[in-house]
Amino acid sequence: MAAFEEITKKIRQSAKTLLESGRVQTVIGFRTASTPLNAAPVFIRSAEDCDKLIWNSFCRLNLANYLPGREGKVALVTKGCDARSAVGQVSENQFLRENLYLIGVPCSGMVDNQKIEAKEPRPIVEVEESDGVITLKGQDFSTSVKIEEVLRRNCLTCSNRTPKLADELAGPETSSPAADDYSDLKALLSKPLEERMAYFKELIKDCLRCYACRNACPLCYCPVCFVDETLPQWLGKSDDPTDTFIFHLLRGFHCAGRCTACGACETACPVNIKVREFNRLMELSVETNWNYSAGLSWEQKPPLTVFQVDDNADFIK
Amino acid sequence: MTEYIVKESNLTEFFQAVSQNRTLLSPVGQGEKCRLEPTTPDKIKLDFANTHLSPKASFFPQTERLLAFHKDKSLPNSNVYQDLGDKAQDCVLFGLRPCDAKGLTVANKVFQNDRFVDPYWKGKYEKALKIGLACLKPSPQCFCAAVGGSPFGEQGLDVLAYVKEGGLGLKTLTEAGEALIKSTKAESASLSNEIQKLEQEAYGLQKAEKDSYKVITERDLMEVYNDPHWPFTAENCLNCGVCTFFCPTCHCFDIQDEQSEKGGVRMRNWDTCMSSLFTLHASGHNPRPTKVERVRQRFMHKLKYIPIKQDGVFGCTGCGRCVVMCPVNIDIRDVAAKMCRPTQTAKV
Repeated sequence: MAAFEEITKKIRQSAKTLLESGRVQTVIGFRTASTPLNAAPVFIRSAEDCDKLIWNSFCRLNLANYLPGREGKVALVTKGCDARSAVGQVSENQFLRENLYLIGVPCSGMVDNQKIEAKEPRPIVEVEESDGVITLKGQDFSTSVKIEEVLRRNCLTCSNRTPKLADELAGPETSSPAADDYSDLKALLSKPLEERMAYFKELIKDCLRCYACRNACPLCYCPVCFVDETLPQWLGKSDDPTDTFIFHLLRGFHCAGRCTACGACETACPVNIKVREFNRLMELSVETNWNYSAGLSWEQKPPLTVFQVDDNADFIK
Repeated sequence: MTEYIVKESNLTEFFQAVSQNRTLLSPVGQGEKCRLEPTTPDKIKLDFANTHLSPKASFFPQTERLLAFHKDKSLPNSNVYQDLGDKAQDCVLFGLRPCDAKGLTVANKVFQNDRFVDPYWKGKYEKALKIGLACLKPSPQCFCAAVGGSPFGEQGLDVLAYVKEGGLGLKTLTEAGEALIKSTKAESASLSNEIQKLEQEAYGLQKAEKDSYKVITERDLMEVYNDPHWPFTAENCLNCGVCTFFCPTCHCFDIQDEQSEKGGVRMRNWDTCMSSLFTLHASGHNPRPTKVERVRQRFMHKLKYIPIKQDGVFGCTGCGRCVVMCPVNIDIRDVAAKMCRPTQTAKV
């Protein structure tokens, strides 16, 4: 694993070259955030601003989210999962390949702030990172935490940490852990319907319908989301649990076969809902039925948008 | 008004006394789970930073059912909306942080003023006695001092409490607060010197400088509005509703009617100016068509329009929730700093 300083340096160099040569007009990457345990999206348009770009274990968001509808040529700083999302958007005709340049960062996993807070609940003012260790500093303490102990759930089962389709890599390839075996969801699926329902209802009970999950998601680019439709209005706006449930359920279905497990939804969620459970369920189904994973080639089309004569059609009775 | 102390050993008894014939609401749970909820006198926490959600939900719930009708023609008033009335009960809130109590006063002027009185807000707001808990250790994201507040702020409170060695110090601020504390066994004391000293120390622990954004209220409205930084400030915004839902002063709502075969209900739900739907007209026209207008609206409302309407008081109280919760780190402190002076170039 290359040190983050090396990766940062490489990203800045690439950004500079791309902007100076006119290959792109904007580089979308991460900058240092004003709050600890965080990194923020930044839009760089000139070579002298490239030094704002950084890389660390908090670059959790998926910047492909900013692509649909964007004008001009763009370079995107991407982890493995984000690159897959960008590739997916190209294959879904949301962005032109020739307008896109992917600066891929071989990822070593991003950290989960909840896991950090479980280890250090006191207010953290400053964070330092080196050699796989995060040092959390507060007013009168300094605590070290191993990054591998606080990785996000999705990063622990990511089989595409190196963005192989990127136009260039900002560091040496990283090895990926074993893919998600969905064992917990398979166990859940073997339970009676009521139990499954209870599990998902419990999962979303704190939801505020702020839609941060949807808005942080690179798949949710619909000009008008079904929850915002007014003619007719498909969904109630109150805190009625059924309406909230339908939002999550339908969003899950809409993302089927397209999710790359980037975890941006869970990162954005202000009440820490494991939103991805709905998407995982869909991915399990798509992988089982069509042996398909999103964003692994520029040419492949999402299975639910194409027809093949040998498609599994067992569900048609 | 008057100052009192309650010894640590008498705290449960004290909270029993203040919640006599009233519901007691106070922060319960840790960290992200810390919420303002009904609790019992023996479970009062003094060691929390602040509640995850702001206390506004206790007065202005995310969904509030206002009117209802039934469709049973064999009964009177079928298909006629009936007021569901105000079901507010007397309660006492302990542990409001001064920023949040001040936030409630900002919302209160929206819900109760010389033009309108909102009965649903009024009932709940006026039946609540509010005991604040001063901040001895502000969190890293706190900046109440910069927006005219104080870790020992008194606005919107009946009593201000603070943790002192061996118990609680109390300062009553209204007649209702004085009557409440007088009904307990709290002992009179003289605390003003200690309060002044602790307040200065707490100010010192905040990174924010006192009144550093005041200049925004003095600048020309259209100049602030037309500053070239807005497209760049808004660029990474996701237009989710996190900032508005967590804000202690955001109060916008959407009235909705829902019905089934049996009847219907008219309710109001939290809405958010971050959503495109918020300003979408029936004609299809949207006066805030992109996130640039929407983001500008939120900050202009907090830091310019509310001060114009509320005698210079900011619509931001420096609680720092949006600073921490924003998924893309749009930090209101950075935006406020940009709003203090004309932006020289479009670049940010």
